[in-house]
Amino acid sequence: METLKRGTRGALALALALGIMLPSGCASDGAGDDGAATEPYVVGAVLSLTGAQSGLGGPEKNAIDMEVARINEEGGINGHELVVIIEDDASDVDQAIARTTKLIEQDGVVAIIGSTGTGQSMAMRDVINEAQVPQVALGSGSIITAEFDPLVFQTPWTADLIVPLALEYLKAEGHTKIGLITEDTGFGKDGQALVNETAADYGLEVVSDQVFKPADTDMTGQLTVIKGAGADVVLMWSSVAASSIVPKNLEQLNLDIPLVCSHGIAKQEFIDGAGAAGEGVVAFAGKVLAPETYGVGSESYEAATGFVERYTAEYGVAPDHFAGHAYDGLYLVVEALKRLDEGFTSADLRDEIEKTSGFAGIGGVFTFSATDHNGMTADDIVIYRIEDGRWALAE
Amino acid sequence: METSELLQLAIAGLKNGSIYALLALGFTIVYAATNVINFAQGEFYMLGGMFAVYAFTQFELPLLVSVPLAVLVVAGIGMLFETLAIRPRKDAEPMALIIITVGGSLVFASLARHAFGSDALPLPEFTAGPSFLFAGAAIERQTVWIWGIVLVTVAGLTFLYSKTRLGRAMRACMQNREAARLMGIDTARVVMISFGLAAALGAVAGVAVTPLTSTRFDIGAGIAVKGFAAAILGGLGSPLAAVAGGLLLGLIEQAVIPFSSALKDVVALGVLLAVLFLRPQGLFRRARREKM
Repeated sequence: METLKRGTRGALALALALGIMLPSGCASDGAGDDGAATEPYVVGAVLSLTGAQSGLGGPEKNAIDMEVARINEEGGINGHELVVIIEDDASDVDQAIARTTKLIEQDGVVAIIGSTGTGQSMAMRDVINEAQVPQVALGSGSIITAEFDPLVFQTPWTADLIVPLALEYLKAEGHTKIGLITEDTGFGKDGQALVNETAADYGLEVVSDQVFKPADTDMTGQLTVIKGAGADVVLMWSSVAASSIVPKNLEQLNLDIPLVCSHGIAKQEFIDGAGAAGEGVVAFAGKVLAPETYGVGSESYEAATGFVERYTAEYGVAPDHFAGHAYDGLYLVVEALKRLDEGFTSADLRDEIEKTSGFAGIGGVFTFSATDHNGMTADDIVIYRIEDGRWALAE
Repeated sequence: METSELLQLAIAGLKNGSIYALLALGFTIVYAATNVINFAQGEFYMLGGMFAVYAFTQFELPLLVSVPLAVLVVAGIGMLFETLAIRPRKDAEPMALIIITVGGSLVFASLARHAFGSDALPLPEFTAGPSFLFAGAAIERQTVWIWGIVLVTVAGLTFLYSKTRLGRAMRACMQNREAARLMGIDTARVVMISFGLAAALGAVAGVAVTPLTSTRFDIGAGIAVKGFAAAILGGLGSPLAAVAGGLLLGLIEQAVIPFSSALKDVVALGVLLAVLFLRPQGLFRRARREKM
């Protein structure tokens, strides 16, 4: 790795000597620019395009591809072309590390967007730290910002934000006994731990705590145990494709218990997979599925409706909130780059991202601080219910 | 725990177990003909579901046509795979052939990704409708289909092995391929048909499950592990033992869930390891001397 770095520096030095370009006081490899306005800004993105989280990574890639093209059509960033190199981590932790290393060492990116999953986003941290490149994670585990790293930012809502809302909802609906079912991943464990810790504060009891693997094909066993424990509601914390088997199994078991879910399932793939059994399923997520909830005419509303329109025209389907998280991650970096002068360092970029204040994104309004790198509040979340094969507002 | 819940767990175990059984049969049949573990077996399962979804959604064929068509196509792919990838190296060490099947599984998975995309694709149930109720437990209609398919398959295989010329040739190859060849049996044909049959069984399992789970290009490896475990439990010998191994594995998994659903796979694979250590010949087969 060291030799590669040296090789890159050597190439830069050679280019300098030949007078082709002039890396003016730039500390990070490849981040430099000479003001000739031909040198692009290169950003890396590690997304889960294949594997268990491909249902999330696909829309994320779509959003980034589309917005990068748009930014460049409008003249790029301060005259620089924006290049985002997207790598697939196959929903795998080791792949995420390898892809991040490649982006930093070979492509010399100034920032990393991703990964899609919490486990991958955390695993990338060592590489990020070694290179001192800022990361905007798209995984939604609380741990990403709770285990604070000055270099790491996060665009999705975390379990810390959503679990209290979900438990408050269950309490308001008159439920007392939760049958908890979570996926065996970083995302699932995050929700599982927090629900178990805090349910009692809302007068709720977790009567059964079940787990399934992303590769599982049948959850009737877990749901039978949940039923046997006397649960009056099923709370699911999952984001993988297998989550859509749960509502089907509930129906097949003739279990007439409501299913309430984390933001992880708020996507079309879940509705397609669950079919008729998905009707009535409740999920907590941001406002992008119903842009009027931003407040018609507000800055977020304009950003979201514009994004939804472009995305729908480009891909033939409306974007889900995962596409929105990628949009936010991209623009947090882009807006910071816009505010920076030529010859900035990775440290400057990190500082600039941290100064983000009141950025109206798709996931909500972002205001970072030296201690808050997620910057979202409960105001950014609404409750949805599946009605007629669509996500509809539950209120 | 109430009886109805135990019954419900048993139903789930027998449902999943039936799928493992069909995969285990595929492993067993190829192993019998070639002494090779075919690691592309899980991809035949995936392709079965994929082709059925494709025929149903793209060509808008009825399920009744899409499903058998998918099974036939995958059977063809299995035979083609044998002809192109296995036969040219048929005299190689079994390990070399096993590596070829591993490569095959990767190729099938990436081709499927390019052809069908990376999203989960759903298929409707063969017969829609509410579950049947039985002593307080629910049996979904698709499960009845799965059980029916397994029964028909086992009956068909039993008939094939005991009553037909091809089946007798397959059994002869199973016992001693060289001797069978000397007796005038076309062993190359038997091997090819074994691959086709195994691919068809994998596809049948995949098609039968897709209405419950949806399908995706990368689901083959996960299910192949289960099918392989079931085949080992059954001892890679008789078809009936493979089915018993599959059902047993499914039931063990469900038996673990009331204690800890997180440990389901760990315990199931622990049982597999224990069997490999204590009864390497499988649960249902008497130890026999290795034939020369």
